[in-house]
Amino acid sequence: MRQMQDLQLLKRKRCSALPETLNIANKERIMKPLEIPTFQPRLKVLNRDQALAIHASALEILDKTGFRMEHPGAREMLVDAGCLILNNNWLRMPSYLVQNALRSAPTQITLYDQKGNKTIPLTNGNPFYGTGSDATFTLDLETGERRRAVKKDVGNFARLVDGLENISFAMSMGNPEDVPIENIYVYVFAEMVKNTNKPIVFIADSGKDIAKIYDIACQVAGSEDALQRKPFILNYSEAISPLRFPENVMERLMFCAEKKIPVCFPSGSNAGGGAPVTLAGAMALGIAENLVGLVVHQLVGKGSPFLFGPNVSTLDMKSSVVSYGCPEWSLTQAALADMRDEIYGLPIWAFAGASDAKVMDAQAGAEAMFSIITALLSRSNLIHDVGFLEYGSTSCLEMVTMANELISMSRFFAEGIPVTDQTLAFEAIERVAKGEPGSIFLTDDHTFENFMQSLFLPQLLDRSRYDSWKSAGAMDFYNRCNLETKRILSEHQVIPKPDEVLKRIDEILQNL
Amino acid sequence: MSDIKALNEAVIKGDIQTAVSLTQNAVDAGKKAQEILDQGLIAAMDKVGEKFASGEMFVPQMLRSAKAMQECMKLIKPQFQEGDLTSKGKVVIGTVKGDLHDIGKNLVAMMMEGAGFTITDLGVDVSADTFVQKAQEIEPDILAMSALLSTTMPGMRETIETLQKAGIKDKVMVMIGGAPVTANFASEIKADAYAPDAGSAVIEAKKVLGIT
Repeated sequence: MRQMQDLQLLKRKRCSALPETLNIANKERIMKPLEIPTFQPRLKVLNRDQALAIHASALEILDKTGFRMEHPGAREMLVDAGCLILNNNWLRMPSYLVQNALRSAPTQITLYDQKGNKTIPLTNGNPFYGTGSDATFTLDLETGERRRAVKKDVGNFARLVDGLENISFAMSMGNPEDVPIENIYVYVFAEMVKNTNKPIVFIADSGKDIAKIYDIACQVAGSEDALQRKPFILNYSEAISPLRFPENVMERLMFCAEKKIPVCFPSGSNAGGGAPVTLAGAMALGIAENLVGLVVHQLVGKGSPFLFGPNVSTLDMKSSVVSYGCPEWSLTQAALADMRDEIYGLPIWAFAGASDAKVMDAQAGAEAMFSIITALLSRSNLIHDVGFLEYGSTSCLEMVTMANELISMSRFFAEGIPVTDQTLAFEAIERVAKGEPGSIFLTDDHTFENFMQSLFLPQLLDRSRYDSWKSAGAMDFYNRCNLETKRILSEHQVIPKPDEVLKRIDEILQNL
Repeated sequence: MSDIKALNEAVIKGDIQTAVSLTQNAVDAGKKAQEILDQGLIAAMDKVGEKFASGEMFVPQMLRSAKAMQECMKLIKPQFQEGDLTSKGKVVIGTVKGDLHDIGKNLVAMMMEGAGFTITDLGVDVSADTFVQKAQEIEPDILAMSALLSTTMPGMRETIETLQKAGIKDKVMVMIGGAPVTANFASEIKADAYAPDAGSAVIEAKKVLGIT
């Protein structure tokens, strides 16, 4: 009690910046104390020297080892810009080309939803989560069985994304076996557009199918100009580590640069697989590959939006799969966020909410949470792959629903602890402590007025008492996520596209 | 400890230097090349395969053992008459058309080589016609195809159909693998064997050829 009074005295002293007399004479015009800014917990894993050394190594790779550019047009353009020909397809890149590209690429990328609302401002370390793409299998929502993905699954994932607050963009989550394989990416794009109005990150195979996807996107946005002003799409493309740039990959990248479609270009420079087993070297290689993409991209479309960052996971040393649940990937992308802040200034691409587990079990939950919270704490920007199981081979609807809750939990943590008169709650403490017998905080007005914003209120994580949990069916987390997913898919209404837009999309599909 | 047993252990450990000098010693001492190969090298690689399968060994350790074996082979190869060297079988391997990924395929090739198969690696982005042409030329026991992308898997079906058209589908065992490939897909396209990973590729290869 005595301590509390002392604290109040202290606080009063701090607040009375004006002379007492003036204070009394003119109460309304009192100068208010400065608010204490809230520190938002933040993870850092590299110091400036480490960041600069990795960057320097990436530049050295490009200048000394060079890279294999298989697109003749891109090769010619790079040589004109100052690259040196090593032999055949191999080029060397002087570092000033990288500096130029970093200068012209925009530091801020904004994605809009399909209605033209600004929903993903990728700036200031703002994090947004979304699903992944191209999984071969999915876990069936009804039977739990692992089976090949079909077109309807792509639609279901998009609809689920549309209905979940913390999942901000959609990817296909599947390569369906029931659509013509030569235009698979056009079909999955159309399926996503029909089932969500959120932004879409899409894949294409070459310059051919990406043009069709672009046509569909223009129909949705209203016109080419409208799409350029308020892009709702971002293209995901990858080079092949180490240092190989296939022709079809470059076709897509150059198409996007020309049309100002935002892109990311993360090669799979996985430690021990496409890249050296040590994480610093794997990052340097992946960044070097990303920089080649950036340079070509900026030469084709100066100022076109480019989301930075490689995917640096690990090759598992027993199974040789690329891990989606390992701590290394989270660590390298946190390091990349530091490099963004120290050097690049471009928003970055990241992953989270995935697992190597084969079913949505405790391993899946642990691995998903690990990557979700570290991606948030390190302020990664566009965070994909939410909902993957089996090292990205299998998609799982319930995983996405679970991740939605885990992201809420992580966001709550990352917002920190606001320290104000209201949150210090001195008066409430005094009322309850000194109040009538039986005074409790639960009945105090302060609690009623503040609990909603002060506490994390879980929706799916279970805190019920044992007996009520048991009588409600003794359901585990997986089963609760299953039910919630089914509920969303049956109840959530996606605002439909106008009939004429749907008609034009179907015409595009028919004329493939 | 006999030299052969020490050689065996050096290969398992991946100690290339010791393995090579022990092989040289054995050759100099007049030991039969076939004995060095069977008891020293292949027996060691069998043990490595077992240890890898049970999780006692990691991929880089297994590959180091395979490299040790290859270095030793260079020393004993000249001891064999042409055609004398027994191979578990001839394998033609490649990643299918449209797919430029080769880490998985390379792993399979190295493990099969370590197990005593003779490998012809066609690389990545291999068309059905190239697979068939090489199969006619080399007459392998196994034709192995890999794909990382589900979009390139149809290349496997196409290759098998081309083998059929060329009338040599029955003369070679077709084995497939890669991330999107399943046992169902393998039987659907009439492949003879499917291996989900590099370790089981060796086991499946031996199985289809009836080698124990």
